[in-house]
Amino acid sequence: MSIAEAEAAQISLERPSGLWRDALDRFRRNPGALVGVFLIVVFIIAAVFAPAIAPFDPGKQVGPLATNPQGPSEGYLLGLDEQGRDLFSRIVYGARLSLLVGLVSVLVGLAFGLILGALAGYLGGWVDFAIMRVMDLMLSIPGLLLAIGLVTILGRGLFQIMLAVGVIQIPIFARLLRGSILGQREADYVLAARSVGVPGRKILLVHILPNSIAPLIVQGTLAMATAIIEVAALSFVGLGPNDPRFPEWGNILAENANRLQESAHLVFFPGLAIVLSALGINLIGDGLREAIDPKLKS
Amino acid sequence: MALLSVSDLEVKFFTRRATVHAVRGVSFDLEAGETMGIVGESGCGKSVSSLAMLGILPRAGRVTDGEVRFGDRNLLELRDAQLRDVRGKDIAMIFQDPMTSLNPVLKIGRQITEVLTKHMGMDKANAEREAIEVLGRVGIPNARDRVDDYPHQFSGGMRQRVMIAMAIACHPKILIADEPTTALDVTIQAQILDLLRRLVEEEGMALILITHDLGVVAGVCQRTNVMYAGRFVETAPTHELFARPRHPYTLGLLKSVPRLDAARKEKLDPIGGAPPELTMEMQGCSFAPRCTYATQESRERTPELQRIDTKDHLVACWNPVPDQDLPAESSDEWAAR
Amino acid sequence: MVPILLGLSILVFLFVRALPGGPAIALLGERATEESLEQIEENLGLDEPLHVQYVRYLGNLIEGDLGTSVSTRQPVTAELGRRFPATFELAAAAMIFAIGLGIPLGYLAAKRYQGVLDNVSLVMSLIGVSIPVFFLALLLKYVFGVQLGWLPTIGRLGITVSLDHPTNFYVLDSVLTANWSAFTDSLKHLVLPAIALGTIPLAIVARITRAATLDVLSEDYVRTARAKGLDPLVVDRRHVLRNAMLPVVTVVGLQTGLLLTGAVLTETVFAWPGLGTLILNAIRFRDYAVLQGGILVFAFIFVVVNLLVDISYAFLNPRIRYR
Repeated sequence: MSIAEAEAAQISLERPSGLWRDALDRFRRNPGALVGVFLIVVFIIAAVFAPAIAPFDPGKQVGPLATNPQGPSEGYLLGLDEQGRDLFSRIVYGARLSLLVGLVSVLVGLAFGLILGALAGYLGGWVDFAIMRVMDLMLSIPGLLLAIGLVTILGRGLFQIMLAVGVIQIPIFARLLRGSILGQREADYVLAARSVGVPGRKILLVHILPNSIAPLIVQGTLAMATAIIEVAALSFVGLGPNDPRFPEWGNILAENANRLQESAHLVFFPGLAIVLSALGINLIGDGLREAIDPKLKS
Repeated sequence: MALLSVSDLEVKFFTRRATVHAVRGVSFDLEAGETMGIVGESGCGKSVSSLAMLGILPRAGRVTDGEVRFGDRNLLELRDAQLRDVRGKDIAMIFQDPMTSLNPVLKIGRQITEVLTKHMGMDKANAEREAIEVLGRVGIPNARDRVDDYPHQFSGGMRQRVMIAMAIACHPKILIADEPTTALDVTIQAQILDLLRRLVEEEGMALILITHDLGVVAGVCQRTNVMYAGRFVETAPTHELFARPRHPYTLGLLKSVPRLDAARKEKLDPIGGAPPELTMEMQGCSFAPRCTYATQESRERTPELQRIDTKDHLVACWNPVPDQDLPAESSDEWAAR
Repeated sequence: MVPILLGLSILVFLFVRALPGGPAIALLGERATEESLEQIEENLGLDEPLHVQYVRYLGNLIEGDLGTSVSTRQPVTAELGRRFPATFELAAAAMIFAIGLGIPLGYLAAKRYQGVLDNVSLVMSLIGVSIPVFFLALLLKYVFGVQLGWLPTIGRLGITVSLDHPTNFYVLDSVLTANWSAFTDSLKHLVLPAIALGTIPLAIVARITRAATLDVLSEDYVRTARAKGLDPLVVDRRHVLRNAMLPVVTVVGLQTGLLLTGAVLTETVFAWPGLGTLILNAIRFRDYAVLQGGILVFAFIFVVVNLLVDISYAFLNPRIRYR
């Protein structure tokens, strides 16, 4: 074909597209991300429709008490626990708690982290210094230990646990936003806005924040996966939520960790649930990262 | 026989989305000690040609046709182990950005001695001595002290000198300079070009100077090729090229550079349009869509390089620039700019 | 570093003051006698203003007095000291495993970009960061210990093996006393716990190495090195690796945090008598004296390791060294 025809063909191939539509396209074409979405949707459905999906009440005894509870068998999809409760139902209901915790703690971490990060980044000076030193301090204690400390003081209530797990995420978000703000403060478009008299607050909200969202979204999803695992870890250590209404995967696992030979299924299936939910979220987070900036190879 | 003889070189990049025909049949001969320029816009394939010759194309690139005769061997047929003996020793290459082209965690002395130990079999002491000597030759003051410094301790111009030192350390027969001055300040550019000129004479080596800046070739190269969309569209001795730019693209390039002494109201004369996407085979002259001299034939048949004006001047055009449109100034005036 | 350590001490100090039941009962346990309660209240100066209490606390810390364990009635410092070598051996083994496998894996994955190894390692990395370490430990214990019986899963040494352990570092001690059966036995006991503890750091190190290597491979100076005709192995070693290792080194420092918290979760699974089980039991039995000591020590180790990492990073990166 001649040049002119070729050029015309080329132009028609390229649809007009915005930043977000490009990202969405890339996300949709990422097989890993789609698997992640599938997994999470499964868990969301389990959480929302638990009463409809779970064959039994998770707290009720439906089978025999046993020191050697039966694994997957007739009538009980994943088996029973030593109190005769159906494991499958408990796991399905457990999705509620895990997703709830994941969501709330990340929101807590995000909210405080953003505020602190924004203050530090935009105000600078001693405010920045003070906030960052506190963040450094928080980061100097490995996450789980910090959570353990907080829960020890605050108690094992569901809300306290979500708060504790959320608090340990704060430094990451604060640093992220602060870094983003610092990087953009001297950017040309910010200087341009300031030179025409746009007030600082507005610049922050309208210009800087939207440009900082991308890495925050990615970090937010990854933080959710971490939160789910941290709560399970707290349970394993004996500080997890013990609300009978909300079975917790980590709890079920922890209670049976000493009896691997007899109750392997009581360890394996809750653990699998944790892995699959965290995996799903991580896949989505990775997919988002690649969708938003495909040049990033990590 | 020419020192380097390239025939019908074709290079393609194979990516998931499309195949890019980066180089579409390039041929030239280079004699010993000759200085040759390749001028063209970004993306026209000028750098890729050199990378292909040396076998250091990026992962997705592949040579799909052509021959590169160096001495009595076809470089494209050599295995990498054999090519490595040529690279850095017989043919050396320097790149555009000296900030990123030097290893930041190695002392610059080390980066020079490693070519000497590999290619000339020198031992450490001799190599170090030689490294200091060559650093002095390229104009690094206090070479003996500076040889233990790291790249970030040098300025841009100094770093480019270090790159040049690395390249000429083994006295190559050909030096390929890919946009050596583009990343540098204008005053430093002139220094580096002077250095290259001097070294070419001292070493008696051939030089291939790749650039998008016409002023650069005007002062340094005996012969210049103009490249567009993967092909040479014009080639001539440099002063002849500037005096009689017969290809409309060359003329366009010459006319589109602003002049300090131009009348204020004189408008800039850029070449309209944009270079074509290189993702497909094309019939007809690739410049035709932007060309004011284009004819029906230009759009249908691909022009080949043909002799015009003098025996050394070749142009690939069905309707070359007529005499009355040729510019008035000479290449010396150009070089002075 | 000092301000961070001070800050840490303040945090732990406040932590103890905020414990349920008040610091006195927390530190002495629920069955403490009246007089011991009174005594500790005087000791800690609980009726004095907070900052005075803190100064006392700091003084105690500097002297190495972390209080007394409720469960064992031993000084906390002694307990920590006794258990430290076990955790150190485990963490060191896990780290060697993580780095020894992680770096080559990540590097090869990057060089054969989008090859089979690359995709497999990506998947493994993803699973690695999605699995809780205690679950992995239980899985390994179950598969290799209980079912297959290939490796021991309890403790540091078989019951029938005896070892003089002056330093309490069993591997070292067995070498020092030329007790080769104990040497192999202690190593065998290290395998499963170290793999369990080190797998997640392995996944992360491999990922970071891969990313760093990919970045470096696309740098101009690698092209320059190739253009100079250097051998590919030389290019890899001197030009690629040396630059790719920089971000990896910083990550290794952060992995210590993972190793420390991982120890708390992994040691119980393998009945490993280290700091991890100590802290875990302290939580279970409300031995807050030990808990605060344990948290303090862990945080201290974390800070020190990261400081060392920062120093070595400055050493490796001339751009920071010569400013």
